[in-house]
Amino acid sequence: MGAGRGKPRALPTRPQYRASAEGGSGADPGGEAGPAWSGVGGAGDVSRPRVSGRRTGACGLLPLPPTTAPNGSSGPSRDSVEWEGRSLLKALIKKAALGGEQVHILGCEVSEEEFRAGFDSSINSRLVYYDLFRDPLNWAQTGEALPGGPLGALQAMCKRTDPGPVTVALDSLSWLLLRLPCAALCQALCAMSRQHACRGGGPAAEQLCVLGLLHRELHGPGPTGALSSLAQTEVTLGGTAGQASAHILCRRPRQRPPLETLWFSVLPDLSLDLQGGPPLESQPHPDPHTPQVEPASHLTFNLHLSKREREAKDSLTLPFQFSSEKQQALLRPGPGPATSRIFYEPDAFDDLDPEDPDGDLDV
Amino acid sequence: MAAAATCGTGAGSTGSMVAAGGKNNVTSFQRRGPRASGSDSSYSRLVSIAGTRPSVRNGQLLVSTGLPALDQLLGGGLAVGTVLLIEEDKYNIYSSLLFKYFLAEGIINGHTLLVASAKEDPADILQELPAPLLDDNVKKDFDEDACNHKTAESNIKMKIAWRYQLLPKMEAGPVSSSRFGHYYDASKKMPQELIEASKWHGFFSPEKSSSTLNIEPCSLTHGYIKLLQFIQNIIYEEGFDGSNPQKKQKNILRIGIQNLGSPLWGDDICCTENGNSHSLTKFLYVLRGLLRTSLSACMITMPTHLIQNKAIISRVTNLSDTVVGLESFIGSERETNPLYKDYHGLIHIRQIPRLNNLIYDVSDVKDLAFKLKKKLFTIEKRVE
Repeated sequence: MGAGRGKPRALPTRPQYRASAEGGSGADPGGEAGPAWSGVGGAGDVSRPRVSGRRTGACGLLPLPPTTAPNGSSGPSRDSVEWEGRSLLKALIKKAALGGEQVHILGCEVSEEEFRAGFDSSINSRLVYYDLFRDPLNWAQTGEALPGGPLGALQAMCKRTDPGPVTVALDSLSWLLLRLPCAALCQALCAMSRQHACRGGGPAAEQLCVLGLLHRELHGPGPTGALSSLAQTEVTLGGTAGQASAHILCRRPRQRPPLETLWFSVLPDLSLDLQGGPPLESQPHPDPHTPQVEPASHLTFNLHLSKREREAKDSLTLPFQFSSEKQQALLRPGPGPATSRIFYEPDAFDDLDPEDPDGDLDV
Repeated sequence: MAAAATCGTGAGSTGSMVAAGGKNNVTSFQRRGPRASGSDSSYSRLVSIAGTRPSVRNGQLLVSTGLPALDQLLGGGLAVGTVLLIEEDKYNIYSSLLFKYFLAEGIINGHTLLVASAKEDPADILQELPAPLLDDNVKKDFDEDACNHKTAESNIKMKIAWRYQLLPKMEAGPVSSSRFGHYYDASKKMPQELIEASKWHGFFSPEKSSSTLNIEPCSLTHGYIKLLQFIQNIIYEEGFDGSNPQKKQKNILRIGIQNLGSPLWGDDICCTENGNSHSLTKFLYVLRGLLRTSLSACMITMPTHLIQNKAIISRVTNLSDTVVGLESFIGSERETNPLYKDYHGLIHIRQIPRLNNLIYDVSDVKDLAFKLKKKLFTIEKRVE
């Protein structure tokens, strides 16, 4: 019994982060498997979990301005080999933790120490970390691993969240997609938000924001399309010449989704910095201005009129052009068929001579 | 008819004509059989179910899809016993709107609803249905729409066709007091009392299919099996297939299935190319069999843009009766095309069924575009 979707929570208190010039440096393509900025698109929709984004070729940092930052489900952030998304994910985690939310992290791709690097101790103490990197198949049988494999880990995470605003970060959806069937993963993600909504108290309490990181190069169009359709906000990271950009697509239930592109960078202390536009020097391939399609441009005949032609057209008298009172008289329904009037308007060639009406006849 | 009692001599004969002598009837022929004016209305010859009408072409019983413009394109409406498949647009905005119109039309006409979804709870879907437009408000809305649209052009007086100045400029407005096809206001929600007065059944896939069973390929996924069983139960229990002779008035069952084929149903045709490609087609085949033997009509929305294997799309099209595709301009390059600047997307009528007929009932114009004005959803033929 879903208690209905929670209302989007305004985030007026999210601080604007300063960004440093870091970020946007292209990592070498052959490098690490998953550097990518994950954009967290928290969209306003509360009850829908957002799926992580994909990796695009570029890193993009995607800060969302507080007024439009959605609460609730997160979006997928896509990153790519050149543009790393994990820093963005960490920046958004930091933002959420500073905002007082519970943060649960499922770490699959990097070790816990590496993930926690960069957070200061206060934030680190608030993060609840589920480690699937060290021993995903539970060979060591220490008993602290989550049962059921990755799917069981997702379900267990959901059960352990307390009611209240929660942010769940999945370090890599790609890792999960490679090990789970896509349909099962989609169902598990949807179930997370629903179960959280069930356990939450009221609409304000059920704020679940799921952030996911997806490496776009690893998957075909099928899984990425399926996850995108589930997501509320999708952040695709990119960039040009060292400056990271994030292309945000925010789906709202009944409106056209706004698409916007933000330029950002992540500071060393994992703060976000929004920048206005692309840096001036990095415009190697500006988008060509799409020319307006002119419908009459490819015809074999000429539809345009020159000035002289237009004047000649306007001054032409039409054969059945009546005076305006005659038009009005004709348009107005007459008193009836009993009275009929004859309207005669002399033409230019008529030569009326009252004395001799037949004078023009050549008899 | 009044003289039937006295025509006892002819009652034993098998002929349908009874001679009546000396009566003041105009004709001497009497129709044998149940009286049309009898009190037992279940034997009336004309079965008139609320919200339906026979097609003008072949008498097929039709229901409205909730959008009179779409009804007109489909040849009058959606035939009872058939499936209408809507291919969703990329962001699922307009297809969900059409889905809601279909359900709202069912509530207004008093039909029984069956809502199946894997994404949203059916109760939530029903809360968000659009409100019907009342007759006096509709004319006002159409007038002001027409005024807004035509103010720029009203100053042009026609020079040649001046006799047409007096013709009304607005498009055909809604017919007041129409029993078939209503208009809805997308900005308002349907009043709660109408929803509560209606009869509906909901199927929410994550609740019904509890476990993820391991199924062998080429068989139906678990969610589909459960949905088919649910539909079959409702049809049988409520007598839509004539199994329990209904003493009350016959009614139509409107089935709405949302996002069929998406991964949330457990089907992976949207994720991979080589998945279980027969599950969805089998589902549609069985569903069509259920619908043909009952008084029901079904609307399915399917995210065909996500299906990876294009052969499945053509199979799905063949297995459905009417297929309508929506293509929205959001994010595509057509958004900036001046031809499309007034519209929000294109509608493609991909298939129209040939029911009890040798010819199709296709409209001659294939260029159709739709736009969602602030309250109404209109479909227009694109005129160059």
